[in-house]
Amino acid sequence: MFSLIAGLFEYLFKKAEFQVLILGVDHAGKTTALEQMKGLFQKIEPLAPEKIPPTVGLNIGRMEVGRVKLIFWDLGGQSGLRGIWEKYFAEVHGLVYVIDAADDQRFDESRRIFEALVKHPDLAGVPVLILANKQDLHSAATIDEIDERFGFGSLCAPSQQYRIEPVSAITGSGIADGITWMVDMLKLSSRGVTATQ
Amino acid sequence: MGLMLSKVWTSLVGSKEIRVLILGLDNAGKTTILYKLHMGEVVTTVPTIGFNVETVQYKNLRFQVWDLGGQTSIRPYWRCYYQNTNAIIYVVDSADSERMGISKQELVTMLEEEELKDAALVVFANKQDLPNALKQEQIAEQLGLAGLKNRQWAIFKTSAIKGDGLYDGLDWLVNTLTGQS
Repeated sequence: MFSLIAGLFEYLFKKAEFQVLILGVDHAGKTTALEQMKGLFQKIEPLAPEKIPPTVGLNIGRMEVGRVKLIFWDLGGQSGLRGIWEKYFAEVHGLVYVIDAADDQRFDESRRIFEALVKHPDLAGVPVLILANKQDLHSAATIDEIDERFGFGSLCAPSQQYRIEPVSAITGSGIADGITWMVDMLKLSSRGVTATQ
Repeated sequence: MGLMLSKVWTSLVGSKEIRVLILGLDNAGKTTILYKLHMGEVVTTVPTIGFNVETVQYKNLRFQVWDLGGQTSIRPYWRCYYQNTNAIIYVVDSADSERMGISKQELVTMLEEEELKDAALVVFANKQDLPNALKQEQIAEQLGLAGLKNRQWAIFKTSAIKGDGLYDGLDWLVNTLTGQS
């Protein structure tokens, strides 16, 4: 009887756990976005943006959103470090792709990288949240302009869930909406879920 | 009980010392790094048999830095120092490509230790002043850093004798360790 109740309790209160990669070219604002997420969902004071150096390795963010545990892996985006990314693909359930919306000179480079990611077999089917970052800057492109340059619809497989979110990792605007969407997609996702208590 | 009280005390009063181990194969430059951080000078070193320990004050934090000897015969003793370690500085000689495999094995063995499961890892790709030094990406790859999933890590190009990169690594440690608490 007790184990029955314990089982029910566990069923009701266990939390799904998902791993999410944060990628994009260097200086897109990946780590700053992660710090904002920590501030929003983990109630940890985010690091001041000016104190964040370029990432040369892996930053980890663990947080709970709703009843879901998220583990974010934020990897360095410098060209020499991108070879490291694919070592993480097999174990991720979602992808956050960060674009510096104010740096249109690097859109082509970023588009090529995005294309390689969504066409990689190990990432097939993962929901993709595209953050059009730095919307706090006047020169930032709108999400329509970015979509026009990138052509996300033609890059992603027809079944791929993706969403473009205008955000500012500095002010935090848009981040919560994007992550809420990601969580909804992860719950629906066909990828395996590691359940923990 | 005494331990618990002392933990409560440090959490209330703060100013806890951060325990850092400098590890790596022999001749990687660990002792040179320790004294460059401690005194700002390049000292003449001899191979460390045993350990050196110094306090480094940086950005309002006190680091208690242990430099352990890296020769084959004394590497088994590293584990005696693992308890309560907050961070590991793992030093590799970037120009010693022949021993990168051994360095990887030692690193992997070390990271499997339960006592180090919460320790942050920063790798110093040292001796970047040498002409045949490998690049940081190559070292990250060869050490198997790429693929570590449960631990924050970073790799920095350093030259202990010039002082390059050492404080970038410490900055990262400060950010990482203060962000976790």
